[in-house]
Amino acid sequence: MNDMHAAAELPGLDTPNRATLGRLPVHGGRLGYAEEGPDGRLRARVRIPLDEMVWDPAILVMPHGGDLELELVNDDQNTHCALLPSNGDHQFLWLPNHSRGTASLNLDGPGCYWFSSIIGNDEGQGLIAAIVVMGETPPEARLDRPAQPRP
Amino acid sequence: MAAGYVDAGHAVRQSSLSGVVGKAPPVVRDVTYDRIRQARSEPQNWLTYYGAYDGQRYSPLDQIDTETVRRLTPAWVFQAGASGVYTGPSTYAFEAAPLVVDGVMYVSGWDGWVWALDGRTGQELWRYKHAIPSDTGLCCGNVNRGVAVANGKVFVVTLNAHVLALDAETGECVWDMTYGDVRAGESGTVAPLVVKDLVIVGSSGGEFGVRGHLDAFEIDTGRHAWRTYTVPKPGEPGSDTWPADGEAWARGGGNCWVTGTFDPELNLMYWGTGNPSPDFDGAVREGDNLFTDSLIAVDPDNGEIRWHYQYNPHDVWDYDSNMEHILFDSDGRKLLAHFDKNGYFFVLDRTNGELVRVTPFVDRITWGEIDANGKVTAKVYPDNEGEPVRFWPGPGGAKEWTHAAYSPRTQLFYVPVQDVGAEITLRHREFKEGIPYWGAGVVVDSKDMGGSVSAFDPSTGEEVWRWSNDVPMCASVLATGGDLVFAGEPTGEFNAFDARTGELLWQFQTGSGHHSSPTTYSIDGRQYIAVPVGWGSWVEGFLPGMFGAPHGDALFVFALPEE
Repeated sequence: MNDMHAAAELPGLDTPNRATLGRLPVHGGRLGYAEEGPDGRLRARVRIPLDEMVWDPAILVMPHGGDLELELVNDDQNTHCALLPSNGDHQFLWLPNHSRGTASLNLDGPGCYWFSSIIGNDEGQGLIAAIVVMGETPPEARLDRPAQPRP
Repeated sequence: MAAGYVDAGHAVRQSSLSGVVGKAPPVVRDVTYDRIRQARSEPQNWLTYYGAYDGQRYSPLDQIDTETVRRLTPAWVFQAGASGVYTGPSTYAFEAAPLVVDGVMYVSGWDGWVWALDGRTGQELWRYKHAIPSDTGLCCGNVNRGVAVANGKVFVVTLNAHVLALDAETGECVWDMTYGDVRAGESGTVAPLVVKDLVIVGSSGGEFGVRGHLDAFEIDTGRHAWRTYTVPKPGEPGSDTWPADGEAWARGGGNCWVTGTFDPELNLMYWGTGNPSPDFDGAVREGDNLFTDSLIAVDPDNGEIRWHYQYNPHDVWDYDSNMEHILFDSDGRKLLAHFDKNGYFFVLDRTNGELVRVTPFVDRITWGEIDANGKVTAKVYPDNEGEPVRFWPGPGGAKEWTHAAYSPRTQLFYVPVQDVGAEITLRHREFKEGIPYWGAGVVVDSKDMGGSVSAFDPSTGEEVWRWSNDVPMCASVLATGGDLVFAGEPTGEFNAFDARTGELLWQFQTGSGHHSSPTTYSIDGRQYIAVPVGWGSWVEGFLPGMFGAPHGDALFVFALPEE
């Protein structure tokens, strides 16, 4: 997986209990990309680092809609969990301290899909992250009109 | 696995950590086109969006009547709540019309939810959740108006403009087709309509400068059968009602976001179309702008528009005409009725679109007038950049999408009426795909408003009775064989009225405002009334005075006490 730092613009917003009580969700987190395997399935890994209350990466990019095999690692010394978006139903995974699990997700089109740890106030303290699906709607579903200006 | 890690296993469906049964009885397997066509002959069920193809929202069930209704009490309540981060948490609303087939209820929620419930107990039999991008462009909230059923499947559209067929026994997805472009600002909120071997859906997105369309898919395979655009390309019929130069037509709106009705004998569907885009800036789209704000009579076999009737030529008030077209017969004529956002009650000949009668149904109409021949004269409209204009009804309309009902017993129409004005200030803007394209600032009144449930005689257009409320009525009406009319209030009360007099006979406070379509059904001879409750969606457009009202998400089901 490729990744890069998305710099925090305000000191302390990307660290628990500095500027805010938790950490500002997503902002200050890292950006990561899912990689496509020969079977067409996308694969990626996210982890919860020790005492950072953040998913790393905090923004996971899928180059297009489809199936994502996700590895989730909890390197924190507290228990968390993951509620993940997927067509059919949310996918749920307990993540005890120092654990590793997997999830199979299907996301069918462009846009931003959130996932989070839904225990305690993990979401409020920073354990919210985004899966960003790139790409366009299938040609057969698009409007029959000339190309239009976008922002 | 890395050394030392605990094995957390593989993620599971969230519903596996609940009381959901996981399977429903095979009641939809035998729901055929013929059964839907004869839906009123099986009043224990509510087989299609309006209860029957005619759109009357009438049920012959009469166990709950003007006498017994005083003993009506909750039988069960279903609630979904929320977990995780979801789309439009401030705008979601529970808008659906629950369907019921032989004791099993199928109902959609906001944000891609579909549930199968035991109609007797409310037990959750299965659930489906579509993953919705949180950044989907939505003019009017995170909503869905319902499902369709046939041939063992449950059909639903998603906010990100997919149409799905779910296995009615398990909730598993059988097929999934994309029918709109979320990057263009399209979305899906309509309850699908099954006609013959097709499921037909319309698109949402008229506030984003899209080009409206209807799509049909084969119910068994998902194969795309046809698409019909509601705004013509240059050279097509109606294109002369758009500017010859430029691409106004390509951004022209006219979306079909409310379910159509259907006359099997005439083989015609009646779909209403939405506002032209931009909503208020008419200078960029001179002309009548067909087929926006129109009734289009559509051949279900090929999508051909046979004829049309335009209610609001060159609309600059946001007066969508999506709202239902209720089929009824009178004096041997095949007619339909439509209550438009513009405040007028239209009766048309449904064989050819000829106007039979047009009369006002709300007290304040200042935007213009429509004479007895249907001639439209605009009087107040946004015309000068930056200059506010005030008119009634506001863009939420004298009646929003929520539906009227017709009782063949009383031969009256029952209408949820909104009497709210607005101030609109023209603000020209350039079109950019995926960005709202209104062309004005909009402030809807939060004071000096009212509403009613009003009964109208279609033979004269006269109001027969009115139950007045101090805020607009924003939920669909249900009429029954017990000579009752049910309608919910924005303040949470669910009401039963005497269909002949308008007397309020029964009321229950549900705790959140109503913006949905109640339905009725029976199991083993016991009649139930079902109403989703959850205030939200485009509240700032139809009732900003209730913008701070409680935001619930419950499905209430009422019945008489068991002996």
